[in-house]
Amino acid sequence: MVSGKYIYYLFLMNALINIINFVPRILVLMRFHGALMAILIGTVVGTAILFAFTRLMSRFQGKGLPEIFNRYLPRVFSVPLLLLYSIFWFGAAIVTMLSFVDITLRFISPDISPYAVMIGFLLLSSICARLSSESILYALETILLLITPLIVYILVKSLTSEGFSWDAVLQTITYLWTKPNYSAVAGATFIFSGYMNLVVFNRNFRNLKTRLLWVIPVTAFVILLVTFLVPIGYHGTVGVEDHVYSWFSTADSIRMELFIIERVLFLFYTTYLSLSLFSMTIHWHVGLELFKGVFRSRHEKKESKKGDWWILIPVCIVTLLLMSFMNQVRLAQMGQWFLNIRFANEFVLLIALYIANKRSARRT
Amino acid sequence: MSSKTKKPADEWLAEKMSGQVDFEERRLGPGDEFHVQYMRTLTNSDIIFRFIVTPSYEMGDVQAFKNYIASFPGTVQPKDMEQLMEYVLKGYVVITIESECYLFEAVKTETSGIGEAINEAIVQGPRDALSENIELNINLIRRRYQSSALKIEMLTVGNVSKTTVAILYDADRVDRQVLDEMREKIGGVKVDILQSAGELEKYITTQKFRVFPTMVVTERPDRVVFNIAEGKVAVLMNTTGFAILAPTIFTDFFTAMDDKIQVPLVGWFLKVIRYIGLFMTLTLPGFYVTFASYNPEILKVQISLLIAGSRAAVPYPSFMEVFLMLLMMEFLTEASLRLPKAIGPTATTVGGLILGQAATQAGLVSNIMIILVSAVAISNFIIPLSMMGYTVRVIKYIIVLFAITFGLVGMVVSVVGLILYLSGMRSFGRPYLKMTLLEIKSKGERRNG
Repeated sequence: MVSGKYIYYLFLMNALINIINFVPRILVLMRFHGALMAILIGTVVGTAILFAFTRLMSRFQGKGLPEIFNRYLPRVFSVPLLLLYSIFWFGAAIVTMLSFVDITLRFISPDISPYAVMIGFLLLSSICARLSSESILYALETILLLITPLIVYILVKSLTSEGFSWDAVLQTITYLWTKPNYSAVAGATFIFSGYMNLVVFNRNFRNLKTRLLWVIPVTAFVILLVTFLVPIGYHGTVGVEDHVYSWFSTADSIRMELFIIERVLFLFYTTYLSLSLFSMTIHWHVGLELFKGVFRSRHEKKESKKGDWWILIPVCIVTLLLMSFMNQVRLAQMGQWFLNIRFANEFVLLIALYIANKRSARRT
Repeated sequence: MSSKTKKPADEWLAEKMSGQVDFEERRLGPGDEFHVQYMRTLTNSDIIFRFIVTPSYEMGDVQAFKNYIASFPGTVQPKDMEQLMEYVLKGYVVITIESECYLFEAVKTETSGIGEAINEAIVQGPRDALSENIELNINLIRRRYQSSALKIEMLTVGNVSKTTVAILYDADRVDRQVLDEMREKIGGVKVDILQSAGELEKYITTQKFRVFPTMVVTERPDRVVFNIAEGKVAVLMNTTGFAILAPTIFTDFFTAMDDKIQVPLVGWFLKVIRYIGLFMTLTLPGFYVTFASYNPEILKVQISLLIAGSRAAVPYPSFMEVFLMLLMMEFLTEASLRLPKAIGPTATTVGGLILGQAATQAGLVSNIMIILVSAVAISNFIIPLSMMGYTVRVIKYIIVLFAITFGLVGMVVSVVGLILYLSGMRSFGRPYLKMTLLEIKSKGERRNG
């Protein structure tokens, strides 16, 4: 059992990671077509889902999604749903991995083999995904405490730099009253998805009642604005669309004059790589637990770790195969699909949980 | 003695001390008239024998013996039970004659056989180290922890060596689960010879593959006392001057006993310094490989040029250089450890001079590498407990290996992996690495969760 504060960490991790999951890319492409409006709508919708989801989950104290579904839903529904979400969580990790391998090749070491980097990521996530949920949360806390000051520093540095054009930002804001499309809103709500990891981590929470839950929408809104507007401030309203990883290009435009490392890019890369590794591990862990939930019968309680590798190794192989026919265009496309499907999926999950909740209420 | 309490003082005391292994009770005198009670480890048996046991049989007369005992300048009559207990735990002998209580001074203050702590030296504060005699050690700890809640359990481990092992804990504060686990594990140790605390520590850890120590092995009685007060379990062993403390978490290895003596600001500063030292000793060699071979563009141009310039004469890649120098440093450390005191300095001087001066002039290693290796070695020695120091010495090679194969990515992957690994570890059910800093606000929650 852990205290309630770990929910914020789960949220914060996703909020910070959105920069590499193609969220800024989508928002930037939509900058004249309602990206700002999408941020506003996304914040409202995301907050609504967040509150609904945490409330539903708090009804099932100490239970994860597999236990809830297996118990309160007919097997015809619970098995495909769990399978779907498991694949989905593995997919989330794979998108992060693939984009980070791409970023590594593009910005840090062009001469290293992409497969070597990928195998490194896969090894770490697979080994660490088998830790207990509690341990992963402790580690997440440690890494966030170490990294958040660095990220704040980078942010302050980027906003105070001379190269930052407030005019470009102000001009973008004039496009506020434009109707956004579905993908923009879906992209904007990604920031809230950290709490979705509760589907497994709920096992470790005793009470989900958190007093400061309103902090989340406020933080999310600010982070979204920063995600969207800072690259525009650096690359201009039009030039910004030339960059696939707009934030990495932004970080590369900032200079630390008085430090042994000159380019902020490396600081940025290191902090985000460690965060992404965590996100991969957590998604891997959730995916694994959900997948194991498919095979678990209704009454079996004890957690077993025997079959883990039989699930993880095939997933790793699939990831490597996927990588072999991935290029940047396909990857960006896949990232966008992922975000779109994710948004719809959240509603499905909510409905399923709602039904489970109703059925559990009727049973008692 | 006070007539308010119904129970006589000697019975009350016997009941209170029933679980203590070093509590002794004797009936003396030709007709068992005298009831003597004392803590074996705290009292001087010679004094007891000479001034209590022998006269009690020789005098025969009850009144004469009473007067004789009362005549000693150190003898007191306790006012109440608390005082009685306090004096017993100080090392007084309780003599009950016709339901009258006398406290006879027979305090054993061990001075011979107690050395100074060498491995965990501190600037200010107590200097005593544990000795190799378990009775003496218990005396040292009892003297610093005068509470009747301090319980001691004795066991014998080793088929041939028959080593006495004592489990010490504060009955009011200890975590029962940890205690039971410890008892069970020590009881289950099956070996012929047991000679050192480190060995015992190895036998009672459950992890098959372990890198980090999950128990502190210390030679300082004050550290033992401090940890017992925190609710931990201490294990003492005969024939070794070291105690084992459990459960131990990562941060425990980075506290020195004089952190408390210092001004709070200085104490904090020292702690921060140690963590910076840990980070440096772990990552500097890896960063050198990364910067020299993979990503020279990370650093400022001037620094990259400096490194490249100093490496100009070196004929092999940076990782060879790193391994060569790190190995030489390990040899130096080991050599100066094992050599007799008289030759020790020679080894370091020769090694330092040859490695430092000649190697760079010959172009075998770069100047910067020398500085780096010394920085790594020095920051390694900052870690107060040598067990953790040894572990860190090994871990840095793993990080270097990652840096060699993956460059900067490898560095980040290995550090993140290390954090995850540490968080996954448990010491007697306690999370090994956990940020306790933020827990202050929700104390109630922590106790439950």
